[in-house]
Amino acid sequence: MKLLPSRKKKAEADGSENGEVEAVAKPTRGERAAQAKQLATHHGTQSGIDVAGWVDSRTNATGIFTAMMSRHVPKGTNWFYTLGSATMFIFAMQAITGVFLSMYYTPSATQAYASITHLTNEVFMGEFVRGLHKWGASLMIILIFLHMARTFFFGAYKYPRELNWVIGVVLLILTTVMGLTGYLLPFDQRSFWATIVANNITASGPVVGPYLADFLRAGPDFSATTLSRFYALHMMVVPGLIGALIGAHLFFVVKLGTTAPPWVRAGRPKGSRPTEAVAAGVAVEDLDEVAVNGAVTVADAEPPAEAEVDAAEAEEVEAKPAEETEAETAAPEPAEEAAEEASSEEDGEVNS
Amino acid sequence: MNAREKEEYLREYEILKKKGKSFFPYAIMKDSVMMLVVAGVLIAMSIIMGAEQGPKADPTTTTYVPRPEWYFFYLFELLRVIKPPALVPVATIGIPTICMVLLLLLPFYDRGPERIPWKRPIATITGIMVIIAMALLTYKGAVAGPPTEIDLPTAPQYEKGKQIVAQSGCLACHAIGENGAHGGLGPDLTEIGSKIPREAIKQSVTIGPGIMPSFKGLGNEDLNAVADYLASLD
Ligand code: HEC
Ligand code: HEM
Repeated sequence: MKLLPSRKKKAEADGSENGEVEAVAKPTRGERAAQAKQLATHHGTQSGIDVAGWVDSRTNATGIFTAMMSRHVPKGTNWFYTLGSATMFIFAMQAITGVFLSMYYTPSATQAYASITHLTNEVFMGEFVRGLHKWGASLMIILIFLHMARTFFFGAYKYPRELNWVIGVVLLILTTVMGLTGYLLPFDQRSFWATIVANNITASGPVVGPYLADFLRAGPDFSATTLSRFYALHMMVVPGLIGALIGAHLFFVVKLGTTAPPWVRAGRPKGSRPTEAVAAGVAVEDLDEVAVNGAVTVADAEPPAEAEVDAAEAEEVEAKPAEETEAETAAPEPAEEAAEEASSEEDGEVNS
Repeated sequence: MNAREKEEYLREYEILKKKGKSFFPYAIMKDSVMMLVVAGVLIAMSIIMGAEQGPKADPTTTTYVPRPEWYFFYLFELLRVIKPPALVPVATIGIPTICMVLLLLLPFYDRGPERIPWKRPIATITGIMVIIAMALLTYKGAVAGPPTEIDLPTAPQYEKGKQIVAQSGCLACHAIGENGAHGGLGPDLTEIGSKIPREAIKQSVTIGPGIMPSFKGLGNEDLNAVADYLASLD
């Protein structure tokens, strides 16, 4: 969050430093106008109506976005940490393919099967989209279990991330409910009989079991309403809950940060790392911040934030020009940029 | 974790975070690569395996063996492992519910400060055991092929009933002689004729006791044939 004041400062500084911007903007409009103009230029909107700036001044969307992008993941973050976002990706895929399927699907016991036949055989790319949705379900189950295993073995459910684990378990349950309700929808023999058994299993549960089964079946017997009930659960209720809970899950991820792998220690610099771990850490952070802001705002000159003026500043200023040009030229090519910056960051550390 | 350990963790974490890299572009790069891999696998699976459609659901001909999606196999197998009918609710609802509650409350009973897997052996070993158990049950569920034949000598008048039983998926849950699911969801039917009267058998097949599906849809004639056949087994 300390980024916000520093961004504002940057805008002001740029306004006065950058002759072009200053010349175009009418001086009488004052500082706010200059700032808005500044925002407009770096969003590429040159028209009189500055939509991005308008929204931004009310929501601080850019600030939040920048803060999220430039937040740090701890040292040691590795490939296992991609499983959560992979799960989220596959959920998004399910949502998208699901919307397309729902355009052709008829949730009625008499027409469901025929609508699936039509979709599979006649609709352009119909079978492919059905395949994406069907196999996506399996992949999502696999990924969610892998992600859970990762957080389990890394002890990521411990203080202060207990709530995120709890939300995760609810997400796991909801995901299996998606599998269960979705399985019936094609309405072929396999799905029909499996669902009947699943429902009878539900009914064998203690206390609420029979009621839950009756609710799912929409009555004591499997009927035409059962299918539409499953459909409503599958395409509205459960995905809505999952979406909302993923939001909460990610809120905690951003707020609390992700864990470092448990065997990574803060105090033990290894290899070329300098012995003054803390001071070096600050320096590295500053370097990163410059690089990121540079990339996001297409390399505006950034004066160092006052709060961070310390011994590390000297190195930072030295290292800055190189960082900037790199960020600018490599902006559309994240892979290159990452590689280059990684190496330049190493240099910076060695120098410090 | 007591207050001091919590504070220590947060302090250590702050440093680790300072030493780490920014989310953009480093973490997001890995995330994107992973997403691309997942997308590639998904597209390949959809193209290679497609999405076939089984025969239409038909409540009157139960010629299909109830099989869940593969990721429910382990639950299904759990039902087979636990045999006595009185314990079926334990297997179907009891065990999964207890597991879910234990999973949900994990952070509240495992509160030690240690996070390194090999330094908290109980948690790690339990986790590995659960994974192995689930993998085994899934595997067993996957290979438990649904047989649709009964090779027992049968008097000609019961042939029809035998055929219906064989094709109606009864053997997914029941055993008859050497055929079907031994230790399956339902009781062994090999000597069912000597255990309960014909009318009770018909009743069972019609209403589907417990978790067994109702086969009312077979129609009275077929139900009678099934009951006659089963009653002849003794
Ligand atoms: C999904 C699994 C499943 C399928 C398929 C199934 N059954 Fe059952 N069946 C059961 C279970 C479980 C029981 C025991 C129910 C109880 O008593 O709680 C049972 C009980 C019975 C009984 C009563 C046995 C007794 O000792 O009381 C008969 C008879 C029977 N089934 C016949 C059939 C026939 C015939 C078919 C095929 C048309 C069939 N079952 C299909 C699971 C199944
Ligand atoms: C729809 C399902 C889910 C989605 C989309 C999701 C997404 C994410 C994402 C993107 C992260 C960031 C770190 C990472 O990727 O590893 C994360 C972290 C986390 N998730 Fe999930 N998750 C899901 C399900 C679960 C489940 C089932 C659990 C456990 C029961 C869980 C527990 C956690 C925990 C404890 C963290 C914090 C990890 C850390 O700080 O290292 N999540 N989740």
